[in-house]
Amino acid sequence: MSIYKWISFSSLAVCATLLSGCQNPNSGGPGGSGPVIIGTAIDEEPLPGQNDYPENADRSMFPHVYFSYDSSGVESSEIKKIEAVADYLNSNSSKAVILEGHCDERGSREYNLALGERRVLSVRDYLINLGVNSSAIQTKSFGEEAPFDMGHTKEAWAKNRCCVFGIYDQ
Amino acid sequence: MIKYFVLLGSIASLVLSTSARTLTVYGQATGKVTVNLSGYQTGRSPSSRTFLSVLKADLNRSGYLHVTSSKAAINVRGSCVANSTTIQATVQVYNAATRKHLLGKKYTQSAKKTRALAHKVADEILFAVTGKKGMASGKIAMVSNRTKHKELYICDIDGKNIRQITKDRSIVVGPRWAPDGKSIVYTSYKQGYPNVFITGKAKPIVHYGGLNTGGAISPNGHYMAVILSASGNPELYVISLRTKAVKRMTFTRKGNEASPCWSPDGSQIAFVSDTSGSPQIYVISSSGGRAHRISKGGSENVAPDWGKNGIVYSTRRGGKYKIAIVDPVRKTLKILQTDWADYEDPSWAPDDRHIVCSRTLKYHSSIYLLDTVKDSPVPLVRASGNWFSPACSP
Repeated sequence: MSIYKWISFSSLAVCATLLSGCQNPNSGGPGGSGPVIIGTAIDEEPLPGQNDYPENADRSMFPHVYFSYDSSGVESSEIKKIEAVADYLNSNSSKAVILEGHCDERGSREYNLALGERRVLSVRDYLINLGVNSSAIQTKSFGEEAPFDMGHTKEAWAKNRCCVFGIYDQ
Repeated sequence: MIKYFVLLGSIASLVLSTSARTLTVYGQATGKVTVNLSGYQTGRSPSSRTFLSVLKADLNRSGYLHVTSSKAAINVRGSCVANSTTIQATVQVYNAATRKHLLGKKYTQSAKKTRALAHKVADEILFAVTGKKGMASGKIAMVSNRTKHKELYICDIDGKNIRQITKDRSIVVGPRWAPDGKSIVYTSYKQGYPNVFITGKAKPIVHYGGLNTGGAISPNGHYMAVILSASGNPELYVISLRTKAVKRMTFTRKGNEASPCWSPDGSQIAFVSDTSGSPQIYVISSSGGRAHRISKGGSENVAPDWGKNGIVYSTRRGGKYKIAIVDPVRKTLKILQTDWADYEDPSWAPDDRHIVCSRTLKYHSSIYLLDTVKDSPVPLVRASGNWFSPACSP
């Protein structure tokens, strides 16, 4: 079911990029007229549909990537960690990765779900640019819901702002 | 007769109109209408006594009334009897000065629903006396980690009658009521990923790849606003619940969106976006177009809820979260006076005057009731564990 959803999603996305009005937010939807499509900007890479969650992925193979407060940009000090994962995936085509994003406890819970997702999507962008197939990358944001450090200090918060790499068999 | 005029003269301020609905008689400098229920009779059964005590508490919590055993502007008479299966209450409400009859009604209900009956009667008395819509029959959906897992709970707006709704041993985030007040839309990780669910349905209603969260149904019940990252970035979408058509509303490649909520007339959506560099509150027409920022000040502005009296949200100022209300038309901003704790996830109560939110002090969260007029904050849910992310029924 998930593959079908992905195919129908991406074909809709392809149609969206070809249609000239695709980025006009006024086309379709409540109060509008015309075909209703999921608009996709040209440089975006849609996510694959949901597969079974790889609960037993190996999360110990690669170190976490850490982020600054309220930021989802990849710091230059962290790039080597992502390159190591890309090298591994490019050399092991049977393996895939799930990127799990976390936030510290500041900010609203709902905003942190999006921030955590944005963090792993930044890492995903890097991996794709390094040649990893997007179908080998899944994302899951935990927001502030599953912190590694239950403390309330700056040190605890820094540990919690991260992307975790979970390696599993495709 | 002379005694009567003296009594009237001693009242702080007096406003009368011909219509019973807009009658307001202020008995004290507090500006609340005094109500006397001393003549109200209950039988010996616990249910009838519960009925009266819940009724009195609801009238006091309304913010407009003050229950007193001294001479009052309004008298409530009647009686309540109950057995193990049924409760019956008669209620007569009079203006004490003019003897005008404002409400006369007989109620019958299952004894199991004694509290619900008291809430209903409280709202009807409030309306008969002041013409205002009450909140006594409201419900709160909220999340708690009391069982170590974050599950969905419901309680009455007085903080009582807490019931656990999910038992998924997973994580629940961001509950919102459907406009009919019967179902709750929420995000859950029970199938491994953050998906949007609705109570009563085991399967998720939104489950694209990536993040699915922030489900909020429009006031007319036809659409749901939601945050999806399926395009490669978390963005705001509106889904038609009938046709399943999906419309993308934001295109912020470097920004995140979160927490959509609908205006009461369904024509606009308020939401959080950090496209400016920090999370702020924006408003967009529900048919799409440009989003306009409406939050000013504070280092973060999050968690909006849109009611008839404005958009309430949580604002981070001086290192603490406080509750702000902005009138999106007049652009006026009001920040509620609160203490040193963090106040987050505000939700308008059905009376459009009170706000339910979480209060966190020393990392312990409970549910509180705030008043936008003058009354002090009141704790509603302080049971063991943390209680947060409240949403009031419409």
